[in-house]
Amino acid sequence: MTAQERRDAKTGYLALSPWMAGFLVFYAFPILATLYFSFTQWTLVDRPVWIGLDNYIRMFTRDPLFVSSLKATTLFVALSLPLKLVLGLMLALLLNLKMPGMNVFRTVFFIPAVISGVAVSLMWIWFLQPDTGVVNTLLSYVGVQGPYWFWDLHWALPSVAIMSIWKVGGAAIIYLAGLQNIPAHLYEAAEIDGASKWRRFWRITLPLLTPTLFFQLIIELIDAFKIFTEAFVITKGGPLKATYFFLYYFYEEAFRNFNMGYASALALFLLVVIMSCTVFVYRTSGRWVYYEN
Amino acid sequence: MKQSIVRRILVVISLLLLLLVSVGGAIAQEPVTITWWTLASAESPEPAIRAVVEAFEAEHPNIKIDVTIMAESAYGDLMNTAIGAGEGAPDIAYFWEAPWLPHTLDITDHLEADPDLSRDDYFEEYFNNWAVWNDRVVGLPFTVGANFVMYNKDVFDEAGVDYPSADWTPWDYIEIAKALTDPDKRRWGGDRPRGPFRAVWRNIGATKPYSDDSTTVEGYINGEDSVAAYTWLWDLVDSGATPTPADIEVLGTEGTGPVDLFIAGRLGMATLNNGHMITAANAEVNFGIVPEPHVPGNERFVHAWALRASIWAGTEHPDEAYEFLSFWAGPEGQRINMEIGALMPSLPSVLEDYPDAEADYFQGFLGVLNATQTAEWRATHPCWRGAVIRAVSDAWDLIMLGEIERDEVQATLDGLVEPAQAALDECVPRLGG
Repeated sequence: MTAQERRDAKTGYLALSPWMAGFLVFYAFPILATLYFSFTQWTLVDRPVWIGLDNYIRMFTRDPLFVSSLKATTLFVALSLPLKLVLGLMLALLLNLKMPGMNVFRTVFFIPAVISGVAVSLMWIWFLQPDTGVVNTLLSYVGVQGPYWFWDLHWALPSVAIMSIWKVGGAAIIYLAGLQNIPAHLYEAAEIDGASKWRRFWRITLPLLTPTLFFQLIIELIDAFKIFTEAFVITKGGPLKATYFFLYYFYEEAFRNFNMGYASALALFLLVVIMSCTVFVYRTSGRWVYYEN
Repeated sequence: MKQSIVRRILVVISLLLLLLVSVGGAIAQEPVTITWWTLASAESPEPAIRAVVEAFEAEHPNIKIDVTIMAESAYGDLMNTAIGAGEGAPDIAYFWEAPWLPHTLDITDHLEADPDLSRDDYFEEYFNNWAVWNDRVVGLPFTVGANFVMYNKDVFDEAGVDYPSADWTPWDYIEIAKALTDPDKRRWGGDRPRGPFRAVWRNIGATKPYSDDSTTVEGYINGEDSVAAYTWLWDLVDSGATPTPADIEVLGTEGTGPVDLFIAGRLGMATLNNGHMITAANAEVNFGIVPEPHVPGNERFVHAWALRASIWAGTEHPDEAYEFLSFWAGPEGQRINMEIGALMPSLPSVLEDYPDAEADYFQGFLGVLNATQTAEWRATHPCWRGAVIRAVSDAWDLIMLGEIERDEVQATLDGLVEPAQAALDECVPRLGG
């Protein structure tokens, strides 16, 4: 290594150090501490007691809530993820139209993405209130008796999934950036060749948007697994644990049941699940993500 | 010569003594600082908190109070962190979580030696349930709260139904609720309880969800009286005389009760609390108060609560901390909070001066304050709230959703014994029982 390279390396590390310090203090250390606590019984205010693998044994062999919360979360991910990806893309296509006042629409659709989750949850309680809510009132105009939504055993989880599309404007903005990066000359050439709009979408837009889709898939996947606020504010995990999501279970164990050791084990399990899904998506991306270069 | 030496020695000793006394005096006058973490609320707003500090410091110039008023959302985390770290916890605070209790100072001796305050000054049930833990006095009860049934007299008059009296039964409640219900006016007769093994459960005879020694669920959660109480709930839900959980969620107030529905006249009766009582009085609703219904021959219970004002066991100034605690949670401090805020003091001698104390409804409220509290059992069984209630909530949900038939209540409860026992066995070694 030359003296210049050493100097460059030093400068690089120096520039990196604030982020590294933040990573070590706020991420690496808490993760390692969580790993340690997952092998303990700890009420938060007393000394942790080492219990070896007991928390993990309980989790995998005799905890029905672990199974039901994982099931509810997986169902939610399966419902909300495609919904958000497809609707986000559709919205982005609309927002990409060249029309006067489009910037206003873009802003309007993005606003929900930055509103507090608790405020949004409270608003949706009113939207979906069975007797007086906006949705059921509108349905009643067309002769449809709306369900009990959050308070119906079969509708509670789909209601939370429907609610998640509220933030689809955030995804649409990312898609929009991807759409605007697609070179215009490709569309012009296709148009001259007589390609229909649908064909242009399938042959140009979608393939060139796959890197954005890939990014969005990973972000939304992680976000969906972390579903919590809606259960905490609206359903309290009910009815009949239909919306008893994994993070809600974690929260109850940690801060209501003072079982921080077990909660740490749950948190690590979720980390492994999310990481595995992310790795899987990443590994398969070579087959469907197209990079122009 | 000798006399002169002796005289000089005496003078030196006298000077030294004088110096010691003056330095000692100066040290004694150095004020002690007591840290106090608290929360502001409608009952105890910030001006009342500041007024308590000001009044106390005026009376005790040698003690300074360093008060921090926190947001409730942060309070639990900060207390957990400080108590867990073993340092930095406040001398005085509310100790409301079960795992915090072993970290409170036992003030039995201080209270017994106190010429101005004794446990008899407080409502007995509140003191026994909120200040005593494992036979130790771990704090003083600050304020009183209780559930009772509020009934809208106008709704009763319109329906031509007699007002309920204190000797009513849970089945009377259902019949009255049915008589008051009027679908055309979108009015329900009464509300539903907000959880099992609260007052109505106990009043029907379902004493507790598991044994006192926290070892056995079988025969308790699925015992005869528990089945009777859950069946009563089934009948109530089936009557159609109560709002659904969806209505209560939207129109209730922070999960504490559908006071808005009650004030709007859409609910003839509702199990509410003293905060709601004041709200309804301010809204000029024509209402009365009765205790929750019970079965004749059974002891009457009330679902009630107080805040536990305690001293941290790690305090370096236990005497000074007690001085402040007994002021803040004693007659002076609670009176200040009652006059500036809307606190209902846990001392009968102060509560009797409450602005509305002479009103009929207030007299009804006073009537429930001496009843045996459900907390008598719950407070010493943290696993009920922490783990077991979650394991058994399915029976509650199934009834609320109308998913089971009346004759399936026993089987449903039998099915909960195993998960409840597992939850209990896991929790008791951790949180105690």
